[in-house]
Amino acid sequence: MSTRKWAVGLGAMVALSTLVVGCGAATNNTAGGTKTANGTGGNPSATTFKVGLVTDTGGLNDHSFNHLAYVGLQKAESQLGVKGEVVQSQAASDYVPELTRFAQNGDNLVIAVGFLMQQAVEQVSKEYPNTKFLIIDDPITDRPNVVSAIFDTQQCGYLVGAMAGLMQKQHGIKGINGQNVLGVIGGQNIPPVTSYIAGFYQGAQKVDPGVKIILNYANSFTDQATGQQLAKDEIAKGADIIFPVAGGTGTGSINAAKAAGVYAIGVDANQNYLAPQTVITSALKAVDTATYDVIKEAQQGKFKSGVQTFDLSNNGVGIAPPTSTVPQSIVQQVNQLATQIKSGAITVSPNIPTGK
Amino acid sequence: MSFLASPQLWAGTLSLAVPLALPALGGTFSERTGVVNIAMEGIMLIGAFFAAACSHWTGSAWLGLLAAMVAGALIAWVFAWAAIRLAADQVVLGMAINIFGAGITAFLLNTIFGYNGTPTSTPSLPNITIPAIANVPVLGWFFHQQSVLVYVMLALVIAAHYFLFHTRLGLRMRAVGENPLAADTLGLNVWRLRYTGVIIGGVLSAIGGAYLSIGILNSFDVNMTNGRGYIALAAMIFGKWTPYGAFGAAMLFAFATSLADVLQGNVIPTDLLSMLPYALTVLALAGLVGRSTAPAADGIPYTLER
Repeated sequence: MSTRKWAVGLGAMVALSTLVVGCGAATNNTAGGTKTANGTGGNPSATTFKVGLVTDTGGLNDHSFNHLAYVGLQKAESQLGVKGEVVQSQAASDYVPELTRFAQNGDNLVIAVGFLMQQAVEQVSKEYPNTKFLIIDDPITDRPNVVSAIFDTQQCGYLVGAMAGLMQKQHGIKGINGQNVLGVIGGQNIPPVTSYIAGFYQGAQKVDPGVKIILNYANSFTDQATGQQLAKDEIAKGADIIFPVAGGTGTGSINAAKAAGVYAIGVDANQNYLAPQTVITSALKAVDTATYDVIKEAQQGKFKSGVQTFDLSNNGVGIAPPTSTVPQSIVQQVNQLATQIKSGAITVSPNIPTGK
Repeated sequence: MSFLASPQLWAGTLSLAVPLALPALGGTFSERTGVVNIAMEGIMLIGAFFAAACSHWTGSAWLGLLAAMVAGALIAWVFAWAAIRLAADQVVLGMAINIFGAGITAFLLNTIFGYNGTPTSTPSLPNITIPAIANVPVLGWFFHQQSVLVYVMLALVIAAHYFLFHTRLGLRMRAVGENPLAADTLGLNVWRLRYTGVIIGGVLSAIGGAYLSIGILNSFDVNMTNGRGYIALAAMIFGKWTPYGAFGAAMLFAFATSLADVLQGNVIPTDLLSMLPYALTVLALAGLVGRSTAPAADGIPYTLER
């Protein structure tokens, strides 16, 4: 029956076209990268320096750290003339093959974005000892060819926590209900997420020991609907400031805060653009700077393996300029706390206080 | 058990049921006419994307919804053509549509809007509150600040039941799903009825997707359905291929999800709680509900040796 053959052919075509679409996205990135690299026309050795970037499953659309790593790479492409290539992981099983592919292609530096890729990097870096690797958020110390960028995000978590704690005590700010409740939404219960949250708890409790903090995990970095639902729950329980630490899931939470007329605090990047009246500040994690710096060091032959820590004192973490909703007196108190953290007068633990 | 009196639990249940009930209803239409449809996930994604994109381009969320329905109908038409006209394997085809939907929407999002996603100015469909319902004790909890699509979904469930079981066309569609040869012998156009079932299914799934992007939010994100199309598939089977059953199953799954959300922060570990809806899916399908019998000709292409 000829229709049968037709059907098989059609199935194959659909499958193939999907593959083509997948590749299309990847080549698109590369093309853009090459163009900028040519534009600067750096020295000959610079043009041959190749950087591969593998995102975790959050992808480049996460409005957060994958996106920032890409921003860092783009900056390196335009300013250092390196040649960048990006691939977005669709599943955790993609990590090893994608890292391997870049290493095999002769990329000088391969960047793995995210804690979730730890094992993959450990495996591939052993197989390709001549390739340099950068992993964001995970300390791998025993490899001569791996550098780990670690962010003390408990410090910026502390600052936004203090700001939230002070804000929710204010009277007369629209949307602040005086119930002494704050809401936190975590993507997953993993250290890069919980360190932010730990700081938030400590900061909020420092300025208001009686504050109640509701913490929920979405168990996803991509599920906006769940992020929105959890935020709605927390708002219904009296939370008037929501702090989502959950990548793309958090954009749903910010949306819920906006709809309910309460406030939110962004994470990783300055997320104020998502809802200008709602997002009063953001806890920043300079993944872009870290990525750029490591690319630069590697390109100049100054690659240092081991852990590189980014914190308040080297601007590796910080907070975004607060909106005008936040009273100036609060901004000043938060700035004072920042100074105290930098001087070592306050140390912030990366662990969430027990009993929570 | 004080959490059971939390209005948010019930509002969350109804809200989370929409993106399960609509595709489950869509699948019911398709499978009742005898075409196995596991493509809900992919169609939802396509619906969600075109809803957000057209909502942004036209400035009207309603036109966005319309665009989602058209896109859903188109992709369902392609599916129907291959499944019915070409007698392709329907499960493989459904899977292909799912993968295609995930790929094409991610590609279009990044190509058209870039990595920052759809603009934040994208309009969304309104929430509506009907005072007559909102003030009823208990029932009002369900309807607190719900999207207009929640009401549309409820209306569609009732309409679908009436259509499938109380109209002539509905009877004919069910007939070609049970015994297409007999139906053909009696002069029914099997292929046309199957096309109708699959395309209605596509439109319903696409509305389910639009609910995610412009119903409760105002943006599209890669893979934002997060497997809801597959849960809908389970809801359809659990609901024994009936509209009310599909709705009931969707409500049960949504309740489990909402319960997991509300119970967080108590003594039960989060990971266990988030397992709840899926564990329930397995239990339901493992026979707790008794036998679910699919339409007799479900999944069997109808070809005539002419």
